[in-house]
Amino acid sequence: MKEFEGKIKLVIKFFPYRYRDYSIIAAEAAVEAWKQGKFQQMHNLLIKNSPRLDRDSLIVYAKKLDMDIEKFIRAIDNQQGASIIERDIKLAKELDIYGTPAFFINGIKVLGVREKSYFKEIILKELENVNKR
Amino acid sequence: MLTKDKIILLICLIFLFYIEGFAYEKGKIKPLPPVPIPKDNPMTKEKIELGKKLFFDRRLSGDGTMSCASCHNPEKAFTDGSEISLSYPTTRNLRNAPTLINSAYAKFLFWDGRAKSLEEQAEFPIMSPFEMNQNLDFLEEEIRAVPEYREAFKRVFGQDVNIKLITKAIAAFERTLVSKNAPIDRYLRGDKNALSNEAKKGYQIFKGKGRCIKCHYGAYLSDQKFHALMVPENPKYANEEKFIVTRRYVAKINKYPDYMNVKEDLGRYFNTKKQKDYKAFKTPTLREIAKTAPYMHNGIFKSLDEVIEFFNKGGGKGNKVLKPLNLTEEEKRALKTFLIEALSGEDLDIKPPDIP
Repeated sequence: MKEFEGKIKLVIKFFPYRYRDYSIIAAEAAVEAWKQGKFQQMHNLLIKNSPRLDRDSLIVYAKKLDMDIEKFIRAIDNQQGASIIERDIKLAKELDIYGTPAFFINGIKVLGVREKSYFKEIILKELENVNKR
Repeated sequence: MLTKDKIILLICLIFLFYIEGFAYEKGKIKPLPPVPIPKDNPMTKEKIELGKKLFFDRRLSGDGTMSCASCHNPEKAFTDGSEISLSYPTTRNLRNAPTLINSAYAKFLFWDGRAKSLEEQAEFPIMSPFEMNQNLDFLEEEIRAVPEYREAFKRVFGQDVNIKLITKAIAAFERTLVSKNAPIDRYLRGDKNALSNEAKKGYQIFKGKGRCIKCHYGAYLSDQKFHALMVPENPKYANEEKFIVTRRYVAKINKYPDYMNVKEDLGRYFNTKKQKDYKAFKTPTLREIAKTAPYMHNGIFKSLDEVIEFFNKGGGKGNKVLKPLNLTEEEKRALKTFLIEALSGEDLDIKPPDIP
């Protein structure tokens, strides 16, 4: 992202795996972190600490990020991010996406874990196409 | 006039030339013949359509997220374009997903050759915990519960759904995935303009100095054997926890005694326990090679340049199969042109069907 600053935009969508105990609550935590302006930091903590994503652990991460804890707990307990998460799941199904990670780079579908160089090649090609237009 | 010494020298030279010529011409590339069809699984249009539906049906995986097409994606020449193939959620696969195009001609399936027919092959990934993680008996019931499938099985096989018929239908669909109109086939059938001059030069290197033809011959461009080229372990995965779990599991189910300490992918040896198969993997077809990167059993090489360089240097450390080729840059370029240009057929236009 740093390498292409100002040229590309990253949009993250939720797709909690339905057979993981804490995937939904972790997505709720991320939504609330987004509302409090801490999405990226929370996202990084969730990835780093997975699979320790139970309620108590999520609260510890929120505290680490100096979030409004009362608000955070209320949000995850009442599933306040449900409409956003469900909207993203619906979008994934429409796009025939059933697993993570999945990426769309200017409409080009990339499934699974990939090397940085793999993304870079696509991004460079797409930027070149944009410049040609 | 020829002296006795000169005659002996001439005979020796002819003999040497013959030996070299024989080595390089051991096999020949042949155009693709009609697909071999097993007697117990004849092809019908309806069976192929049923197989296609099953191929794309996510019911074949335990959590309903993966179909055969997840790792054998028509948009990626029936591979997934990953070094290590895509995995069942929360797990890691062990090897690279080979293309299904022309798999109808393969005598062995999988990098370790553990299946001898497409029918036999199809069961493995369905039940593999790190691929589709489905139970075969349960799958039968899931498919049987769908009226459209039940009717289709009755029409196609005259029988109710069972796992053997599921794999027969999938295999019938897979036998339709064949290279179309590849320049090499046109060239071998007499169209001398089917290859560019550079590709023709590459073809000579393929057959001669490059020694590719020693293992990549016949219509399938493979000797259908197993060789230990000592391809290095893929460092990105070799020490990854999930990868280690899968490698141990594969060793364990193959009754490899020291499975807890296995540090490498031992290839066919896991199955046969024969020393000759130690770290040996199947010779893959080279047809459609330009579309099926990354290469080798663990996807360690991203490009054909890297593959050619590997062979040019005489393969991996300690291998007893390959020798350095000493190809010049120009020869490597020509060889690559041949691989890309000559062996690529028209793209197969396979779209996901409606799943009942």
